[in-house]
Amino acid sequence: MSALRLPLSIKMPLVVTIFMAAVAIFVTERVLSRLEETQTRHLHDLATVYLDGLASALTDPVVRDDVWEVFDILDRARQTHAGMKPTETVVASADGRVLASSDPRSTPPWSRLPANLLPGHAATPAVVTRESDGTAVARRDLASADRTVGSVHASFDITPLLAERRSVLVTLLVTNTALTLGFALIAWLTVTRMMRPIQVLTRHLQVGAEHQVSPIPDRTVDRAPGEFRTLFGAFNELAAAVRDREVLSRQLAEEERLASLGRLASGMAHEINNPLGGLFNALDTLKEHGGRTDVRGRTIDLIERGLRGIRNVVRAALVTYRVDGETNVLRAADVEDLRLLIEPEIRRKALILRWSNDGYDEISVSPSTVRQVVLNLLLNACQTTPPEAEVAFDARLEGPFLLVEVSDSGPGLPETARDVLLAKNDRAPIAHSSGLGLWMVRRLVSEAGGAIAVKSRKPTGTTIQITMPLAAEEKLADVA
Amino acid sequence: MDTPGKTRREVVSGLLFVGATVAGPVAAADEFKFGLTPVFLTNDLELLARLRDYLQRRTAHSVRLVTKRTYQEITSLLISGQLDAAWICGFPFVAYKPQLELVAVPVWQGKPLYRSYLITGRDRAAQSLDDLKGDVHAFSDPDSNSGWLVTATALAKRNRFFGQTLFTWGHRNVVRAVASGLATSGSVDGYVYEVMRETEPELIGRTRVVGQSELLGFPPIACAATLASDPRIKRFQKALVGMSEDQEGQSVLRMLRLDGFSVEDSSLFDSIAAEVSVVRGSAG
Repeated sequence: MSALRLPLSIKMPLVVTIFMAAVAIFVTERVLSRLEETQTRHLHDLATVYLDGLASALTDPVVRDDVWEVFDILDRARQTHAGMKPTETVVASADGRVLASSDPRSTPPWSRLPANLLPGHAATPAVVTRESDGTAVARRDLASADRTVGSVHASFDITPLLAERRSVLVTLLVTNTALTLGFALIAWLTVTRMMRPIQVLTRHLQVGAEHQVSPIPDRTVDRAPGEFRTLFGAFNELAAAVRDREVLSRQLAEEERLASLGRLASGMAHEINNPLGGLFNALDTLKEHGGRTDVRGRTIDLIERGLRGIRNVVRAALVTYRVDGETNVLRAADVEDLRLLIEPEIRRKALILRWSNDGYDEISVSPSTVRQVVLNLLLNACQTTPPEAEVAFDARLEGPFLLVEVSDSGPGLPETARDVLLAKNDRAPIAHSSGLGLWMVRRLVSEAGGAIAVKSRKPTGTTIQITMPLAAEEKLADVA
Repeated sequence: MDTPGKTRREVVSGLLFVGATVAGPVAAADEFKFGLTPVFLTNDLELLARLRDYLQRRTAHSVRLVTKRTYQEITSLLISGQLDAAWICGFPFVAYKPQLELVAVPVWQGKPLYRSYLITGRDRAAQSLDDLKGDVHAFSDPDSNSGWLVTATALAKRNRFFGQTLFTWGHRNVVRAVASGLATSGSVDGYVYEVMRETEPELIGRTRVVGQSELLGFPPIACAATLASDPRIKRFQKALVGMSEDQEGQSVLRMLRLDGFSVEDSSLFDSIAAEVSVVRGSAG
């Protein structure tokens, strides 16, 4: 139910309003029906007294068909009657002919009994109320010696009674509305006041979620009512714990970065160290047999190859982490260099590397972004893949996109790492190891307008697919 | 009022009368019974009290004013001797002429004469009796000259002229019936109508006069013919005729809007007698 999701400061006044409205409707209905009963009884009593009073005086003239005397009685009754007056009194003979009316112009003598009066017999006064036209009509039969000789009818104007009912209704409505609104206001104020500490807590929690958890100031804590002081205290302890954890995870990330740098550096050292042994051997050979032309030429050739290998490794590292002097053209060789950088890791773990980097020569995409992303993914793949298992790399053009796929044979990407990579949960706790690199990958790819997809491999492992859009034609032409 | 010639005996009888009134109808047998009909506004109790006070003082006799619903009752009581005198209408006076004697005739607007009025509702355009055909017509009393006989005479040759007729037993009631709309027209005493113009202008305002009869003899005060020479009647006649010279009598006359009472010849009512013969002729 959506209503249940309303804030408490609205819900409480709403409940009060509904409750009060229900009470008001009930009370109004009771009061009005009682008023109507009272009025009806009063009207009936009035009609009874009036008609009974007339009946005794009227019987004889009615028996005599004495129009004047009947009129005279009605006329005098009208003149003396106080309080609620009948609007018209009509006396009819037994055959339904009017003898006289208190208003002879509208109901002349000898005419038929008007249709609005009661036709049925009524030995005792009968009263019928007609609210639609604001009248009530009463009838009483006139009897002489058990024989009905005629009838006397009275119509009453009950608009004052209806007006009284209306005014009571209006009074009740106004009073109840005012009371309801008053109580709703009081409920709103009370709930708002009660909810104030909750709002403080909510604000701090929201700020904490967006930026950094900040403890509730001591001044606010001291002013809060009992239960909330405890709650605020607990929150402040939690805030402190969260801050400690943040500091810790930052330290952890830093350590992770350093570790990955160390691994890279050790790999590079290894890569440089390998040819160095050969180079020193070559230098010894030159010292001993430098005079021999063939040996010298072969040895110098060896030294040159060794130095070139070292240069390549150094250059690959330089290019990867170079920030300034950025060009926008990626050469296939730039990607090829990366193979050199992960070579030591592959060898160390005796991994099988399947490498495919074809179908393009120069494309207009940021080389440093691609190289950092690919290097990070390759290093992660090497780390997660068990020894002697397969790591695969595939880079190719597909339409206006560069498609890069890095596959490993590891146990699969952990949920948290996947979330980091796919930006599903920005604030997922950074897992020990592997997390920071992935976070960097995501940042770089999204900055370049690319997309990341994660697929599972059969029987085991993960493929991470990066789609990088190429820059527009003219830029490519520019570069060319 | 307090005349210097008042004898000790008169004062004593006056005191006796006061005692009798307080004690109840002890002196009933000795009362002078004066019958009244709705020829004037008998509904004014103040007027009746003053009239009685005046007559008692001037006749030195206790007086009882007797009112009945119809002319018929008063006329019967008068003829049968149960009333000493009565203010009746010209029509019963003519009808029972051999049994009745004229005591005095009121003088209104300088003459012992009045008219009968035909009235209708204020907003009706009727100009004459002919326009009232098919009406619900209110008569005052079947023994009233102005309230029945005059109109009946005018319609003597026309059967079923009115749609319905009703008797209201009083001239004021005729005005009430027409004003309320119970009747669409009515026959009423012109004198009563004119007095009501002053006393009840609102009621009169709802009616208008369609036609007036010729001048006729004003409703007279009569007594049984056998009592004509009785000294009590003579004293009573003197009290009536002398009303205009008496201060208290003048205030009664002012309330009656009359100038006084005079002794007239019974020939004053010949024109009414002529009407009676017309009506009886047509009926017979």
